[in-house]
Amino acid sequence: MAHKKSMAGLGLGLVAALALSGCSGEASDGSVTLQMVESLTNPARTEVLDELIGQFEEENPGITVELVSPPTDQADQKIQQMLQAGEGIDVVEVRDITVGPFSTNGWLADMSAELEDWDGWANLTENAAKYATNAEGKTYYVPYGFYGLSLFYRTDLIEEAGFDAPPASWEELLEQASAIQDPSKNQFGYAFRGGTNANSNVVVAIEAYVADQIDPDNAFKLENGDTIFSAPEAADALETYFELFEKASPPSSVAWGYPEMVEGFSNGSTAFLLQDPEVIATVEQSAALKADQWTTAPLLTGPTGKAIQPMATAGWGTAESSEHKAEAAKLIAFLSEGEASTTFTEKNSLVPILKDAAESDFSKTGAWASYVTMNENPDTYITAVQPRDSSWWTEWIQKSDAEVQQVLIGQMTQQELLESWDAYWVDKWKNN
Amino acid sequence: MTRTPIDTVGRPSSRAGAPAERPSAQAGAPRAGGRKRAFTTRKGFAILGFLAPAMLFVSVFIYYPMISGSQMAFRNWNLTNLTDTSWVGFKNFEAIFANPVFYTVLGNTLLWVLGSIIPQLVIGFAIALWLRRKFRFRGVYQALIFFPWAISGFLIGILFRWMFNSEFGVVNDLLAKAGLIDSPIPWLAEPGSAMTAVIIANIWYGVTFFAIMILAALQSVPDDLFEAAALDGAGKVRTLFQITIPYIRTTLALTILLRVIWIFNFPDIIWAMTGGGPANQTHIVTTWMINTTQRGDYGQASAIGLIVVGILLVFSAFYLMAIREKKDA
Repeated sequence: MAHKKSMAGLGLGLVAALALSGCSGEASDGSVTLQMVESLTNPARTEVLDELIGQFEEENPGITVELVSPPTDQADQKIQQMLQAGEGIDVVEVRDITVGPFSTNGWLADMSAELEDWDGWANLTENAAKYATNAEGKTYYVPYGFYGLSLFYRTDLIEEAGFDAPPASWEELLEQASAIQDPSKNQFGYAFRGGTNANSNVVVAIEAYVADQIDPDNAFKLENGDTIFSAPEAADALETYFELFEKASPPSSVAWGYPEMVEGFSNGSTAFLLQDPEVIATVEQSAALKADQWTTAPLLTGPTGKAIQPMATAGWGTAESSEHKAEAAKLIAFLSEGEASTTFTEKNSLVPILKDAAESDFSKTGAWASYVTMNENPDTYITAVQPRDSSWWTEWIQKSDAEVQQVLIGQMTQQELLESWDAYWVDKWKNN
Repeated sequence: MTRTPIDTVGRPSSRAGAPAERPSAQAGAPRAGGRKRAFTTRKGFAILGFLAPAMLFVSVFIYYPMISGSQMAFRNWNLTNLTDTSWVGFKNFEAIFANPVFYTVLGNTLLWVLGSIIPQLVIGFAIALWLRRKFRFRGVYQALIFFPWAISGFLIGILFRWMFNSEFGVVNDLLAKAGLIDSPIPWLAEPGSAMTAVIIANIWYGVTFFAIMILAALQSVPDDLFEAAALDGAGKVRTLFQITIPYIRTTLALTILLRVIWIFNFPDIIWAMTGGGPANQTHIVTTWMINTTQRGDYGQASAIGLIVVGILLVFSAFYLMAIREKKDA
């Protein structure tokens, strides 16, 4: 441990030293170098980003951008260290789950003034504009795209099981997945998420069951101010959801996180998968599935025929310590409009932030069509904002994930889980 | 090496009752007299001068961050809100001791250490004994057996995670083909089997270290001893317990001590295989500490770190005393 701490300290020291050495700054000829740090790094995405930055530099000869791409699993921690050091970072990738702590610590600049006259606001979708401005009217980041959920399903397997359409509701999913499940053939119904971020799908199911009463500004709250976990419908949602695990999922999915779920669907073992659109590209590359064997359907609804779309997002923000906020905002505006934004969202399989991009052929075909369906039916697929920007969000994830697993292995009842989650949020809202 | 007390003018002093300093026959041993005075002045400063850069480096890059990091344990140091990082005394420790997960984690850590180290020692010893014999292609076998040590623990964790996957993993496949199981075991999904799986992975990884250390020690045992034991009619078991083990006892004791500290502090495999789940049931102190760090609570994580250091210091002290008593007996 001492070793780890010393390494953490060393890391901080090195970051500070790097920062002091002045990676970003203004040269004597007036040219500016911006330091940009990404968080959800992967080589293909970095390549796209590099190309877009190249275009920006061509259009803005006085500005050079240096892109820092830490490995994804350490990125947020490195970004925290750099922001805490207070220098050497101008443009930063901000996620909906990091914007809370970053802004609370005063590390992010409010870009409202710099983006006040930006033309791009008019072409942002309603969601993008909503996420770009927080409840206090401050713009800590502009989203570059959204990670929305849709149901990936096997067309051939549901047909073999005697169904002529994919499930529209959680109840139908349980019925179809149970019918398809056959462990003796290593064939499973649903790619259940029991490991990292297990809480997310439980919450999605609960939200669908209380969709009629939900507060659109806080998807964990009912319109009467209570938590969604206190509603009687939440208990029904849990019953269906955990039955899905009992009757229609691989036993080891107690420990399944993102890679196992996607692998389970891609290798043909599971018939249904609830995932973000970025998975479309992965499944398209699957050797086990042909193009006509799978597609996607809209998010599952609750008993009232409605669903809540829990949009996850990330975007670009400016560090409070940046001495080049105007140039940083210029870069962010460039990435958030026109061809640059469309390229970024298409190449990274994201739900677009631009109104005209959402109307493009790309977004209307194949597995993407379900997103169009959801966008065109906002009364059925309601967008509500989860309190992911709470500073205690990571704590919540850890607590809720562990408790979902406790229910799965029989250490906690479903009722106890709901009571625990209700008490947690009541306490947080009361004391924060 | 004997150290001679030096007085203020650089002469060797004799403590009351202490035997007078005798010239040493050992090469390089300090001698009494004028040369010693020279050593304490000019050479002493020269030595300090040479040591200074290293001491400075170690102080700046090891001790300062350690001490600086440790003080976080007594502060409200939470990355999610750094607007108040005031001293909170033992509040972080109190929160840890009040958390029931801590006691699960301690139990898991004990199981993790004992469950890993005993099989590692036994299997590593057996491999070392086997590799000590001269046979064809011994070098190739040695290279193959020592190979796992060259792989990162995290990578091994990922590898075993897929191997123990109940639907696609090779472990269940082999067990089914051997007729040992009828239905797949969800290894990483249940507390007991998940702990078993991570310990199996760790045994596989760590056996090599014991094998290397013990083989090195075995090669220092003179063949004459084994020949004499054979002439006296000692069997293999008796030779093992009365010749081999006593001869390499010091290496064994230190290897075990090192490994206990190492395994105690080794989160890689567990982190990659289960992330501490299901429901915290495979967390050991270091994975739990990482978990706490990820939550942004550096204060509590630092407190867990100090608890780990404390436990290991106490263990090491008792262990070393136990070994010394045995040696003296």
